[in-house]
Amino acid sequence: MSTTTASAAPARPGAGSSPTLDVVSLDPNRHVPGVRRPGFLQVLHAEWVKFWTVRSTRWSLGLLFLLGAGLTTLVCWAAAADLAAGDTGEVPAAFLTWGLLFSQLTALALGTLVVTNEYGTGMIRATVTAVPRRGRVVAAKAVVLAGVLFVAGVVTAVAGYFGGNWFLEREGVGMALSDDGVMRALLGNGLYLAGLGLFALATGLLIRHTAAAVTVGMALVLVVGNVAYALPGTWGEWVAKLLPGNAGGSVAQVAPFNGGAVLAPWTGFGVFVAEVAALMLVAVLVFRRRDA
Amino acid sequence: MIVARGLTKTYGPKTAVDHLSFTVEPGRVTGFLGPNGAGKSTTMRMILGLDRPTSGSVTVNGRSYAASPAPLREVGALLEARALHPGRSARDHLRWLAASNGIPRTRIDAVLDLVGLEAVADQRVGRFSLGMGQRLGIAVALLGEPPVVVLDEPVNGLDPEGIRWVRTLARELAGQGRTVLVSSHLMSEMALTADHLIVVGRGRMLADCSMADFITDHASSYVRVRSPRMGDAEALLRDNGLDVDRVDDELRVRGRNAAEIGELLGGAGLYVHELSLVQSSLEDAFMTLTADSVEYATHSTETAGAVR
Repeated sequence: MSTTTASAAPARPGAGSSPTLDVVSLDPNRHVPGVRRPGFLQVLHAEWVKFWTVRSTRWSLGLLFLLGAGLTTLVCWAAAADLAAGDTGEVPAAFLTWGLLFSQLTALALGTLVVTNEYGTGMIRATVTAVPRRGRVVAAKAVVLAGVLFVAGVVTAVAGYFGGNWFLEREGVGMALSDDGVMRALLGNGLYLAGLGLFALATGLLIRHTAAAVTVGMALVLVVGNVAYALPGTWGEWVAKLLPGNAGGSVAQVAPFNGGAVLAPWTGFGVFVAEVAALMLVAVLVFRRRDA
Repeated sequence: MIVARGLTKTYGPKTAVDHLSFTVEPGRVTGFLGPNGAGKSTTMRMILGLDRPTSGSVTVNGRSYAASPAPLREVGALLEARALHPGRSARDHLRWLAASNGIPRTRIDAVLDLVGLEAVADQRVGRFSLGMGQRLGIAVALLGEPPVVVLDEPVNGLDPEGIRWVRTLARELAGQGRTVLVSSHLMSEMALTADHLIVVGRGRMLADCSMADFITDHASSYVRVRSPRMGDAEALLRDNGLDVDRVDDELRVRGRNAAEIGELLGGAGLYVHELSLVQSSLEDAFMTLTADSVEYATHSTETAGAVR
């Protein structure tokens, strides 16, 4: 018999009754044996461990960086000459965070997966038995996700800025970090991606299926966001401006591309935060009521 | 201690759990028995606060599960369906659980050792066999050294040695004064593990009694008698105060053993063609009890109450 199976038996010779099952004083009213009652920090720690111990996290963050910084650099390299010649009809500043167009997809995916992978695997049952206060679970997930995405967004944007700006600088159309809107956009990348992650997390909580939630998130932020610009009249323009992707995205760009009216960066971000907060609220309320 | 009062759960028009009231006492293993679809898992999910009761209530140590500040230290649960991410290692799974309830890290190695998974602790649980998954589930349940342990179908997928291990473990936990609730759809399994039985069918309570009482009440035995003069034999046995049932061409006699019945019949000059002791197993008793409440009946088999 192998040692593994032998050790599986509770009554090992010489071990007496299992040493790990000490007879604790079993007062029926003893709720928590000895130790202090865990609080939000413990839940946060648990979510932090969960977040980093699945492969999808590393994949998403790796892709986020690669797409965000890589595509920005690549596109700036390709477009630098045209931008310098003024052939594109766009301002060079708009290109400094070009990769965001794609890196935001990974933030959406990551935010969704944080919840839907738990529903897909049944983990959610373990989660809410460990922490029955479901609002707390969502809060902890939100803090971990938003925190990580903020850092990843800023790091990606800064790398993209240095990569892309190097090529723009070569053509004489680069921007300094101190130039208007540059620092704001780099920080804004982190803020926008963090917000987008939370938006996706809320969508995931409501829809509970990875594919459906990712599709809805992407459709809402990208497809609907762009199609809305085709709506006629002033109200159509307002609808487009207020959609989450469009409202939130402007804070993350040094300057907007042509063709789409956007709100002023911080106004837009304010609208975006309000939208994300509203969706999160609905998601938490639904999550608390629903059977897990 | 787990106390359910009028616990009810409906899903649309379907009633999964129908006014269940029971008490699971500490210090003994309570078997929670019923056919598939009887409402066992739903009841356990309500105990753990996963599902909201439609009406009624269930408390653990005097309050609802969700009100416990550190539930893993109060109730350890093995859920029927797997509740873990296949990409995470066993150790990492235990790590976040321990973190969430402020359980010391030393417990992680302790429970891994207890269930015999220390060698594979760093492998992704997606590669675990059903039995290894069950062992991990039990490790999760015991992580917080809880005074209350709830195990939903713990022997599913375990090999014979594993089954015996779970049995011993459940008894050991109860012996330490813990409250142990174990569900199963196998009477034979419960017969070896449980001190007390709660039997449900279609969400309703069918029996709530000690194992010993259940055996006396339900696992009956009788002596089968066949004789060419059935009428006379029946009358004679009845006159002697025995409990006799005539079923087709046999008599089912209770109250005396085969030898005594044989002597009685022989003394009266009656030929006996068959005289045999028939014992109905606990499994049969359980089948008979739940025959009307089997959710997914297969109609091709013989009647469930058939004797062996």
